[in-house]
Amino acid sequence: MLETVVQAVINGLLIGGIYALVSIGVTLIFGVVKIVNFAQGEFVMIGMYISFFLSSYFGIDPLVSLAVSMPALFLVGLCLQHFLIRRVLGLGDMPQIFLTFALSLLLMNLALMAFTANYRTVHTWYSDEAIHLGEIYVPVAKLIAFVLAMALSGTLWVFLQTTDMGKAMRAAAQKPEVAMLMGINPNRVFAVATGVSLALAGAAGSLLMPFYPASPTAGQVFVLMAFVAVVLGTLGNVRGALIASLMMGVAESLGIQFVGADSGLIVVFLMLLLTLAIRPSGLAGGGAR
Amino acid sequence: MWGLRISSMLWLSLLVVVLLVLPLVVTSRFAIDIFIRILLFAFIGVAWNLMGGYAKQLSLGHAAYFGLGAYTSTILQIDFGISPWIGMVAGGVVAMLASLPIGALCFRLRGPYFAISTIATAQVLMLLFLKFRDFAWGAEGTTIPNLGNAPLMMQFEAKAAYYYIALGLLAIGLAITYRIERSWMGYYLVAIGEDEDAAEAIGVNAPKVKREIYMISAFLTALAGTFYVQYIYFIDPNTAFSFNISVEAALVSIVGGVGTLWGPVIGTVLLETTSALLQSWLGSGFGGIQLTVYSLILIGVILWRPTGLLGVFIEAYRRIVRADPSKQAALDG
Repeated sequence: MLETVVQAVINGLLIGGIYALVSIGVTLIFGVVKIVNFAQGEFVMIGMYISFFLSSYFGIDPLVSLAVSMPALFLVGLCLQHFLIRRVLGLGDMPQIFLTFALSLLLMNLALMAFTANYRTVHTWYSDEAIHLGEIYVPVAKLIAFVLAMALSGTLWVFLQTTDMGKAMRAAAQKPEVAMLMGINPNRVFAVATGVSLALAGAAGSLLMPFYPASPTAGQVFVLMAFVAVVLGTLGNVRGALIASLMMGVAESLGIQFVGADSGLIVVFLMLLLTLAIRPSGLAGGGAR
Repeated sequence: MWGLRISSMLWLSLLVVVLLVLPLVVTSRFAIDIFIRILLFAFIGVAWNLMGGYAKQLSLGHAAYFGLGAYTSTILQIDFGISPWIGMVAGGVVAMLASLPIGALCFRLRGPYFAISTIATAQVLMLLFLKFRDFAWGAEGTTIPNLGNAPLMMQFEAKAAYYYIALGLLAIGLAITYRIERSWMGYYLVAIGEDEDAAEAIGVNAPKVKREIYMISAFLTALAGTFYVQYIYFIDPNTAFSFNISVEAALVSIVGGVGTLWGPVIGTVLLETTSALLQSWLGSGFGGIQLTVYSLILIGVILWRPTGLLGVFIEAYRRIVRADPSKQAALDG
């Protein structure tokens, strides 16, 4: 019994690391640009396909293809900000929500037409490996993904705390008008924030590839998880999103273990609704508006 | 002013006559099927628009009420032999009651996060209906027993009958919207949509108004749910609580014009006609093309005309009617 619980918690934490990359991306765009990116999951999906094709045509390991997927999606992020998001800033919630929402539909269905609905997998030498600790086993591919995801999140945190660009982002997130008065160019800050956020989504895609099949709709679970995590962890708060993602990974995994294979999402959504009922401002406090 | 009223009354009665005669003239089952889809989704859009358009509470979870309406009437019909006509109203009441706790939770958030929490509620309901199989057939769903021609059980041989029901529903939805638009409630809704804090500051009881409009919107959406399962003779959680229903409800309103009486109708006609044309050109085997085109239309509308296409039509109409030469010259130049 105890082993089962520990095993479920470990599985949850490992996948929670991937959720964290996606939710940090969502919360970063929301915090800085004040846009909810409904298409974040589709950028995870694009990251997965980049790694899949690099692996199947050139035999490149998905972990190495991080070096392609992250910069590629960073550029996509710059374009996204420049050509689409910039045009709806200040137009209110409705156009903003539905622009990224339409983008999500568009990318998903373009992927469906280009790559078909087939599941694509990449098999690496470590895909089936596991470290055994007594009764507990830790899958190597997931462990690597988790460690790298945490490393990337840590890097982002250091970037936000120490670099000029990071400080500019945090300033723009807190008081955009004042930040502009201080000589911060909002267009540049917004573009970099979107780029970084998409690069994280791309990284999540590449990290998933050794143990998770790519398909046009693969990103949807991750974006739903990310939204819940972002609400739970207080909107716009990077550390909150990280902690909430790990918690949700665990909650989902315990749900699958003890309620049934199809119940992971129920547990997660119920967590969200419960949080809204008890602490609408999220676990880390602060305003929910 | 009065003159305009009379001319729009004329247009409206012309439209009604055309709509009433349409299934007598067009007898192709394929065409009538498309008309029914247009009427039904226009109705769902109208129901969504009451809350999402006027009060700008962007729900992406209206499938919750569609599904509750569908399941209530189906359970009443199959387990208790109660006519779907009664089940339809019962489903509406269930949806209304369900909107109270759902609203109490979700209205704690605003804007995009309200939208996300409504997605979660619809998903939870879908997952619950998938999970509890002895309660409502689980994932396999069930077919609705075909009784042949049984008008009292909302079953008809002629497709035209379904057409008239959908038309009736849309008429009810539009009439309710028209009444609300011209009542105090309509002004409260628009005020909340513009700026909720400011509306509350001048004495609008925003939580109460939002609760009430959510109930009305949920009730109407549930009627559509009952109608839909009666029309396709089948129900399962993935159909009844389909995320696509939530999306389409919002989509048609946004493309047509949110917070306007006719916006959802215009939006549905455009989108459904496009989708029907695409299907007949490309066949249904071409997965993904329909939603690709939908999303391109949506992106185009948002970038070009974020208030929806209704305004474009009204302008075009005025231009034709008035044919103001100075404006015309400005447009040409």
